[in-house]
Amino acid sequence: MPALASPGAVVVVLLLTGLAFLPLIGISNYVEHIVIISCIWAIVAASWDLSLGYGGIFNFAHIAFFGLGVYVYAVGTKALGAPTLAALPLAGVVASLVAVLITLPVLRLKGIYVILATFALSQLILQLVLSQNQITGGAQGMVLLPALNLFGVRLASYGKVGFFYFALLLVFAATIALRWVALSDFGRSIVALKENEDYAVARGVSIGRQRLIVLVASAAPAGVTGAFYAAYLRVASPEVFGFDTLSIVLIILLLGGAASITGPVIASFLVTSSTEALSNLGPARFMVIAVVIVVILRFYPGGLDALIEKLWSKKPAPMEVMRWIQRRP
Amino acid sequence: MTLETVASVLASALVLGSLYALMAAGLSLVWTTLGIFTFTHGVFMTIAAYVAWQVSDNAGLGLGEAAGFAVAISALAGLGCIAERLLIHPFLGRENIVMIAVITTLAALTFLENAILLIWGPRLKQLKPLATGTVGFAGATMSAHQAIIVVVAPLVLVGLWIVLKRSRTGAAIRAVGQNREAALLIGLPVGRLYMTAFAASAILAAVAGILLGAMRPMTPTMGAEPLVKALIVAIFGGLGSIAGTIGGAYVIGLVEAVSTYWVGLYWTPAVLFAVMVAVLLWRPNGLFGGN
Amino acid sequence: MLPLVLDDLVAGYGAAPVLNGLTLEIGARERVGLFGPNGHGKTTLLRAISGLIAPSRGSIRLFDKPISGMSPAAIVAEGLIHVPQSNLLFPEMEVLETLRLAAHSARARQTTAASLEGVLTLFPRLAERRSQKIKTLSGGERQMVAIGVGLMGAPRLLALDEPTLGLSPKLKDELCVAIGDIAKSGLPLLLVEQDVEFLLELTDRLVMVTHGRCGVELDARQGIDHATIMALYFGEGHAA
Ligand SMILES: Nc1ncnc2c1ncn2[C@@H]1O[C@H](COP(=O)(O)OP(=O)(O)OP(=O)(O)O)[C@@H](O)[C@H]1O
Ligand SMILES: [Mg+2]
Repeated sequence: MPALASPGAVVVVLLLTGLAFLPLIGISNYVEHIVIISCIWAIVAASWDLSLGYGGIFNFAHIAFFGLGVYVYAVGTKALGAPTLAALPLAGVVASLVAVLITLPVLRLKGIYVILATFALSQLILQLVLSQNQITGGAQGMVLLPALNLFGVRLASYGKVGFFYFALLLVFAATIALRWVALSDFGRSIVALKENEDYAVARGVSIGRQRLIVLVASAAPAGVTGAFYAAYLRVASPEVFGFDTLSIVLIILLLGGAASITGPVIASFLVTSSTEALSNLGPARFMVIAVVIVVILRFYPGGLDALIEKLWSKKPAPMEVMRWIQRRP
Repeated sequence: MTLETVASVLASALVLGSLYALMAAGLSLVWTTLGIFTFTHGVFMTIAAYVAWQVSDNAGLGLGEAAGFAVAISALAGLGCIAERLLIHPFLGRENIVMIAVITTLAALTFLENAILLIWGPRLKQLKPLATGTVGFAGATMSAHQAIIVVVAPLVLVGLWIVLKRSRTGAAIRAVGQNREAALLIGLPVGRLYMTAFAASAILAAVAGILLGAMRPMTPTMGAEPLVKALIVAIFGGLGSIAGTIGGAYVIGLVEAVSTYWVGLYWTPAVLFAVMVAVLLWRPNGLFGGN
Repeated sequence: MLPLVLDDLVAGYGAAPVLNGLTLEIGARERVGLFGPNGHGKTTLLRAISGLIAPSRGSIRLFDKPISGMSPAAIVAEGLIHVPQSNLLFPEMEVLETLRLAAHSARARQTTAASLEGVLTLFPRLAERRSQKIKTLSGGERQMVAIGVGLMGAPRLLALDEPTLGLSPKLKDELCVAIGDIAKSGLPLLLVEQDVEFLLELTDRLVMVTHGRCGVELDARQGIDHATIMALYFGEGHAA
């Protein structure tokens, strides 16, 4: 599968391999923490890219899949006593079920209404979490969640290093899986649906089935990652559904460029390290992110992946950039 | 089920419906004029409430309620103009302006929420109600403040309708929304009209925010829930018509009041979503939207 | 002081220009007809002079005032009114309301009442339909509103883009009479039409637009026959 090895994919492999050696040369807990968080946002953004960038589905409930994963881990392990490791796939399943629920309105609606309905759904999930405060802790959230236990090994016993490799493994697996889906025949059919719905339907592509699959395939990694996030921080807070989270993932996606998977993965490391560097700004750091988002849209809508592609080969600029140039008034 | 129950559910529906109508009308105005959806609407309500608090409350400037409302409404008109210039104007003419506006307004929402947090901190604040005491009404009682909402919201919306229908600027705003190029060719100042519509929508948000700030504790994120309600109403009523949006608001108010009474507060969000999805499956352009 | 002078105009959409150095003059009280094959830039020319697209080269002077680069609103205020091809106007607005709104510039507002009376005299049918929504009008009626909207702007130069496109012969004649009435007032006209006979009747001079330039000119008073027109469109070979 030659297409899997795009310039972006090569950068991702080099990046992850390089990072895997870091603990051997002895890095601080803080750097490990940044890498772990980067991996988490990388998967959330890249999995959104599958449905948004490739599928052209404006699902603004994607963050809610992640948030659901967080609460599946929290409620599942703490309130219901589920095994911690089992909570990860379980979170993927729950997120997928909600994705099935979302498919219904997504199929029926057009344009802005898809964004509004999915956004409303994600906010209503948040309100549900807030209102069920005997179980979820309401606005306070939940603390002291059970530690992740890998077949008898407590991951937290090794400081952050265990989570570090687990996170690298997750992001590696997710990147391959998402790219594999995106570049498979199935992936082509969803791109065809996006580009020309009538034609694709005439050629026998089933809108309902394809949209359902792509939403589930994009929800599951986000859900699992949410559970991992909760397992790592051992807290669950309703903020994961909030606009701050959304803005981080959005900026990663905008910088990374749509329909590439690898672009958002790379961008996540840049964005997360920069925002961590700004963390002493407190709330102002999200204000910076917001400004950068508008600036990217204004001056650089093609995304990071387009840039790598352009720098790498002397091929003409990728379609997105071309379209953008033509579109400018 | 007694008559009092019915009356109190209806009273609650009226209060909610009036608030939602006020909130959603602004979204619909921007949609019909600029053809974009603005996520800043909720945080505009929050800012209006905080500004009104800052000016009126004794812990702030202590200038009294009237001054607080006046300053809040003017501030939001100005903020609306600025937001339009920064978030919408540079992207007009781009093919995917709808999507871009979703992202820029979401970014602005994040920006403003955190700015409020920085300026006013996380501690709860509350505006004074417009009036104290209660009002009886066919066996149901509501607070005087709520009664004022029930009266004020329709008045504001009728005012909006008259301005749009009867004034020259109103006609120009409607014209620009229906055909931008034809509007340019009769010499309408399209850019300025966009800004005016956005500012008018911000003013509607301000009125809603001030009324809301006296009903529940103010927090930097207090706008999120009203935004979602306004959004559900706008989808429900169909974004394309302001009248439809207002009708949708009262229907949603009734659904919420009924659901809160019989299903309970906790599951009302789920009921609302189910109703919204059901309506959209049945009529994708909203309950009152055309086809 | 000529109503309109276009010099070496280059304009278009994206990379390749549609207008390639177009030059044209309209004299005082002159009525100029533009015709030519589809897609050769007639509409683009009107869009450039009304400020909807910015020319990349050349100059546009309206009564000696350079208007190139001005906003559409400013150009309308200067008195150049462009009635676009297949104008859908404002579907949800009523006829009278639209006409009133169209008198928008300060200059046009002063004459609103007189202009309105003029329009309703010219198109009595619009008076009957005054409170009907534009989306419910027939094609011919909508075209009348479109021209009426142009007149409400108090034009000093009126540019009409294919006002009879898609209309029945009867309606076409009706509009021909109305435009003739407008022309008689001495208002300089720039009239785009595919139908050369129509232009011969209404204008003083016909100019053919090909490949984004003004080509052959014909004097309308001398008249031309069908063969000449065919020759213009298809080259000399088809003349016979
Ligand atoms: N908005 C646009 N974007 C890109 N190209 C355009 C646009 N509008 C017109 N064109 C192109 O510009 C060229 C000139 O079009 P124009 O509308 O000026 O022709 P015209 O002479 O008015 O033709 P017709 O007689 O059919 O009205 C055509 O090739 C057309 O495809
Ligand atoms: Mg044309």
